[in-house]
Amino acid sequence: MGAKRKKSESEGFIEENRENNNGDERKTKKNKEGGEERGKQLLPSTVKNKEKRSAVHAKLKHQKKLEKRKRSKARDAAEKQALELGEEPPPRMIPRTIENTRELDETVCKPDDEELFAGNDVDEFSSILKRECTPKILITTCRFHSTRGPAFISELLSVIPNAHYYKRGTYDLKKIVEYARKNDFTSIIVVHTNRREPDALLVIGLPDGPTAHFKLSKLVLRKDLKSHGNPTSHEPELVLTNFTTRLGHRVGRLIQSLFPQDPNFRGRRVVTFHNQRDFIFFRHHRYIFETKENKQSDSESKKVKDNKDENGTQDKTIARLQECGPRFTLKLISLQHGTFDTKGGEYEWVHKGTKSVEFRVRAIESVPNLPLFLVFFVFLKNIGELGRTGLWAFF
Amino acid sequence: MPRTTTLECPGCPPLRALTFDVLGLVKVIETSSKQGGGVAKVVERWGDPDSSRCVLAASIDDSKSDPLLAVARKNGLIEVINPLNGDVRVSITNITSDDLLPEDNAIVGLHMLKKQRLELSSRSRSELDFMDFLSCTLLTCTTKGHASMRSVEIPKSPQDSISGVPPTAWNICATGNILCSKVDGNENHALFGGKGVEVNVWDLDTCTKIWNAKSPAKNSLGIFTPSWFTCATFLSKEDHRKFAAGTNSHQVRLYDISAQRRPVLSFDFRESPIKAVAEDLDGNTIYIGNGSGDLASVDLRTGKLLGCFLGKCSGSIRSIARHPELPVLASCGLDSYLRLWDVESRQLLSAVFLKQHLTNVVFDSNFSGEELAASAEVLLPSKAHDVHDTVDEDEEEEESLPVKRKKASKGHKASKKLKSKKRSKNLEVKDVDVL
Repeated sequence: MGAKRKKSESEGFIEENRENNNGDERKTKKNKEGGEERGKQLLPSTVKNKEKRSAVHAKLKHQKKLEKRKRSKARDAAEKQALELGEEPPPRMIPRTIENTRELDETVCKPDDEELFAGNDVDEFSSILKRECTPKILITTCRFHSTRGPAFISELLSVIPNAHYYKRGTYDLKKIVEYARKNDFTSIIVVHTNRREPDALLVIGLPDGPTAHFKLSKLVLRKDLKSHGNPTSHEPELVLTNFTTRLGHRVGRLIQSLFPQDPNFRGRRVVTFHNQRDFIFFRHHRYIFETKENKQSDSESKKVKDNKDENGTQDKTIARLQECGPRFTLKLISLQHGTFDTKGGEYEWVHKGTKSVEFRVRAIESVPNLPLFLVFFVFLKNIGELGRTGLWAFF
Repeated sequence: MPRTTTLECPGCPPLRALTFDVLGLVKVIETSSKQGGGVAKVVERWGDPDSSRCVLAASIDDSKSDPLLAVARKNGLIEVINPLNGDVRVSITNITSDDLLPEDNAIVGLHMLKKQRLELSSRSRSELDFMDFLSCTLLTCTTKGHASMRSVEIPKSPQDSISGVPPTAWNICATGNILCSKVDGNENHALFGGKGVEVNVWDLDTCTKIWNAKSPAKNSLGIFTPSWFTCATFLSKEDHRKFAAGTNSHQVRLYDISAQRRPVLSFDFRESPIKAVAEDLDGNTIYIGNGSGDLASVDLRTGKLLGCFLGKCSGSIRSIARHPELPVLASCGLDSYLRLWDVESRQLLSAVFLKQHLTNVVFDSNFSGEELAASAEVLLPSKAHDVHDTVDEDEEEEESLPVKRKKASKGHKASKKLKSKKRSKNLEVKDVDVL
């Protein structure tokens, strides 16, 4: 008896709750059950016994889930009905996400900005990006490094073509910059290690390019990836997404200048820098296009088979991805004008923390359009933009 | 979830500012109280993007009758521009005696002197009047320390060739790099400083060095910091004796020529090098901007920080300008924003994104909001009346000059009188300003 009572009580509470949140269809139901409803609500937080509290909570959750399902079903039904009747279906709700509620940023690059292109032509990376010279990278470390640091560097060497590792020794970074400039290096990457864990990346453009200081986190090395691939030594293709603001554009160009500008499409290697809310995600994949005939798809799921039947006996090209290490996340801390100089350096941009509401503007990115796991589709999209026709041979 | 509220910018009083960037563009920013609620907007853009025309220094002479704007470019060209419509009046090359490329010997200081000066004023004044020439005096200074003062005659039309009077040139330093130069309000003295060059003050009438600073003593650990001045400014218009200088080792120093050769006052500001210093009208407040985008105002009587200008300013500040009448401060720099601040409340009034790294900002003080249409009208038909106009203007200038001198001498007297009493001096200076 007691249990029954409790149930009705909790139902009543849900009804209340739902009414607060949403509209009309529930109102009818509320009238039906209105008699049972009580003024007093049983909130899980008011129950002192833990077991009972969790029971109430679970029930509440279950109820909410049911309600949600019912609502979506009703919505679908309404849409279907509207379509059958030839009416305009009710407009779909657009979920509010962090990305689409981003405040308007005037610094987002526009494709028709003449000044932007004029600026691009003369900036520090233009000679590499116009393929006038090939990038040559010097990779070094902080003074002390061990365990994951060297492993990370060896993987970086496999990712970035024409990269050379130099032992740091006890040289000053400014001396190293001078040395690298003399030896025609185009960039320096310094991997900073703290407590045997790489935690920062310094990318210095040479001879007078900017210095970007990134925080490095979520590093997963190749051998820790499940069923990872091993990259070949072909020049990789580069995918940069969401570097849309002026600052992002500049950082994107800095990253772009680390890689040679003529990818070898035979290698089918993609390096991705995906920017989302100022975090730059690095991924490294191999891809392959496979053609599958109708007969071979027996083992595949039924749905796919149905699709195939509709298509007739056409071959289907599918793309498969295999990740081949490392995987990490970067966050820009500062972008310095000129080469490394902590004392007398001028900053183009410094992360200054979230001091007040107004400062919470994401600096680099704009509205992203694709989640990371769709990297491949991004890549496909970009092929068209880059105008690289070599890859169409695969189709 | 991100906050979607933004800080309301209260808007600016009507003003007009000109910014200069690394692509050699000059952009005119105006705010008008009528439309848009005082939001600053780019109204004009002069020049085409070209990195060799990167603006290194700029100076404006915003006199009522005939305003002029001088711009020094990276390729060694100095252009005199009409700040109302952007017409290039004259362009001259800054050729130094040595065979240095303009890239190696870049212009760091450029000042357009409001006063007629030197041989021009004495020798060929009448001649010039006759020939309908406008003229201005330019003081330039290059990285290697070649300073020169030349009077430039501006022909009516840009096609006319200019037979310039040979410039008076002198060397400021044998070694080191000059990074900053400034001319005081009376335009009798100029100061120079830089990397490896202590601040020194020159008399522009005789072109002689009258004062040289002495580097501060070693600190308690016996460490000597080599001098590296990045910016400097005179404290008040009337007094050339006191000036403030910012160093690369994030120090701000106050020098008093009449007191001693070492700084009277010196304090640290944050961690990155001071990149810009500007003086207030009251003669004891300065505004300092540094390499990581911090902007603050400091009272130099006490050396106390009055407050910082808070905003999302995240790039190095290259230039600060104080509006000569309104309580507005403009700052610009590597974050490509021109920001207008309220001097009293230190609040951001307006910010404009200008796409390139900015190098300089100047105010055009003759702008009053309604003038916009009128000035354009005046400019266009002026071709027909040019002869008369210029003559009139010259007369006006002649008339106005003695007035200026009087004022200047007054200032001198005042400052001399009050040398003994420092406190009351500041008050007095204020009075002069009001008059």
